[in-house]
Amino acid sequence: MTGRDMLVVNDLHKIYDDGTHAVKGLSFTLKQGEIYGLIGPNGAGKSTTLRMIATLIKPTRGSIYLNGVDVVKEPLKARKMIGYLPEEAEVYPRLTGREHLLFYARLYGIENIEETVEYGAEISGLGDKLDKKAGEYSKGMKRRLLLALVLMRSPQLAILDEPTSGLDVYASVRVRRIIKEYVSKTGHSVILSSHNMLEVEYLCDRVSFIINGKIITTGSPSELKARYNALNLEEAFVKAVEEHG
Amino acid sequence: MSFTRDLGVLLWKELLDLYRDRRTLFTSILLPLISLPLIGFMGIALVEQQPVLVAVVDLDNTTARNQLLNITVSSRWLAGNTTRILEKFGYNVTISHSIDIVKNPDIDVALIIPKGFSRNASSLNNTARVKVLRRAGVQAAVRAESTIYSIINVFSRNISDAKLNAVIRLLGLNATIPALRNPVTARTEVVGISGQPVSRAIVLRNAFARILVLAFSFVVTPAASYVIDGIIGERERKTIELLLASPTTPQRIIYAKLVAATLLGLITALADIIGLVVYMVSVSIVSGVPFGVIIDPLLLILHSITAFFTILSTISIALPFITRTRGIRSASNIVSLVTIVALVFFFTGFFVDYIRLPSEILIPLYLIPFTHSILVIQGYVLGYVSRALIHLAVLSIASIALLIIASKTINTEKLLIAPL
Ligand SMILES: Nc1ncnc2c1ncn2[C@@H]1O[C@H](COP(=O)(O)OP(=O)(O)OP(=O)(O)O)[C@@H](O)[C@H]1O
Ligand SMILES: [Mg+2]
Repeated sequence: MTGRDMLVVNDLHKIYDDGTHAVKGLSFTLKQGEIYGLIGPNGAGKSTTLRMIATLIKPTRGSIYLNGVDVVKEPLKARKMIGYLPEEAEVYPRLTGREHLLFYARLYGIENIEETVEYGAEISGLGDKLDKKAGEYSKGMKRRLLLALVLMRSPQLAILDEPTSGLDVYASVRVRRIIKEYVSKTGHSVILSSHNMLEVEYLCDRVSFIINGKIITTGSPSELKARYNALNLEEAFVKAVEEHG
Repeated sequence: MSFTRDLGVLLWKELLDLYRDRRTLFTSILLPLISLPLIGFMGIALVEQQPVLVAVVDLDNTTARNQLLNITVSSRWLAGNTTRILEKFGYNVTISHSIDIVKNPDIDVALIIPKGFSRNASSLNNTARVKVLRRAGVQAAVRAESTIYSIINVFSRNISDAKLNAVIRLLGLNATIPALRNPVTARTEVVGISGQPVSRAIVLRNAFARILVLAFSFVVTPAASYVIDGIIGERERKTIELLLASPTTPQRIIYAKLVAATLLGLITALADIIGLVVYMVSVSIVSGVPFGVIIDPLLLILHSITAFFTILSTISIALPFITRTRGIRSASNIVSLVTIVALVFFFTGFFVDYIRLPSEILIPLYLIPFTHSILVIQGYVLGYVSRALIHLAVLSIASIALLIIASKTINTEKLLIAPL
């Protein structure tokens, strides 16, 4: 089900202005149609890595290629292929859901705006609520709207930083279904970070444990469970962290 | 994607958001709409309305007659006339025959008619001296004082006329009073630069222009706070990251905010002008000068264009600081520094004719864009039209240059992550 390499990250480093060495030489590749998960404790460098791929912050060292495009050198070109859902993102409270969809469809210079907005509306599952001001939405509704903004353009690479953080069980399940359906429908790729092992097991084809800015191990959820001799991914993760603590 | 398309889409979102933000719109419009007429009203009407207590102290209280000249002078006439005229001008006047009244701290001005006044005033070899006491620091008392002086002048002149008439009659001369009293006269005419006399209307137009300069300060403040909120607010409200991830540049995102802020500033300027026009209409009704003579549509257009570039330069100066500051509060403080400079210029522009400043003072001030804003309006009103246009050109070029410099300092990472 997975194809050619679409994202190639090599020896990625990020040192922030205050000297924090947040990412220390990450390398990985992501194949077409693959869902790839980054798991790691708080402060491990997941968001920093995802932000670098999303072209929002510049790597201190290393390279990122997306479909052959140098993401660091040609951020605007890369952004058209990327849909990025930040860890903490909010909606414009005075704009309706539909206006959000319209704004982002236009901003990305999409040709068939109507179709795109319709697809976005479908992803969001907000129905009639779409014409209400987004400030009135619940947390889960907001997250679904944001996810719709990111996915409605069918980006070849969706970067989702903790897509279900702060959502209740039911809302999380809906979001996961959206992601899974998106990949099976479009054949595009997803890279996500999460603290929810159930989520990662359900969604991801491949997972990396990342600690202190370094990848310590990579594999499919079942491979990782076997490697750490664990019953579930959570146990495998705890063992990995203890090993590298 | 093309610059104009990006800007159009971004601006659409800004304006939609601004349009829904009724409170910001309302306060931006209401602030100048209320405050400008209020400043005019407070500045002129209230000062005039301020009660001034005047005491007329007639210590003489006699009538004297000069038999030779056949004239009569009474201290009561001066006291009575002064009281009547001052009351007509709206002053509170008390007549007294005791000097003790000036001990009353509420008295702002006192006219003291000394003993022997009538006798001296009617004599051929003495002058009558009256004394005016004025409390220091009371602005309206100065006007009461000058009213008293003119009453005394008229009074003195009338007695002088009577005396001179009597002398001419007694000596049997063929003489006129002006020839005896004012053999040489002088008259001042207030003129504009081309030498023609200046009418009341032009004086009022100049006053209008001063308020227009002051009005810039009401335009700059809401526009600056809109940009702060637009940039830092998006970061604090966590909407900026999604926006920065889109295939547009951070410059364009900021430009759209600047345009929206400037539009808001222009709406404010419009409210300014409406407020001013309302105020000037009332001035024109009170002064009897036709309204059309005071308000020059070209001046209003010039004011709007100047306001636009004034906002742009203010924001451009503040921009590198705004984007590098973490919170709305600290950004507001930094921007306050810039807007306070602007306010100082515009407030002084209300009192000072910048165009008259000596060049060794004025030329260094050219470095500050606000100087040019003031000179556009003052230059135009005082008749230096080409000079006004040159200053407008300098202001517009400077503000665009400042914007270009400012936008070089913007980058995605700095916008997303501000230093602590
Ligand atoms: N703007 C910044 N300036 C300096 N250091 C930063 C900045 N942002 C993050 N860091 C540091 O970089 C490291 C990695 O942070 P990052 O947000 O990437 O972690 P994370 O894996 O996403 O954590 P979490 O699970 O809590 O989201 C942390 O030590 C963090 O303190
Ligand atoms: Mg994170």
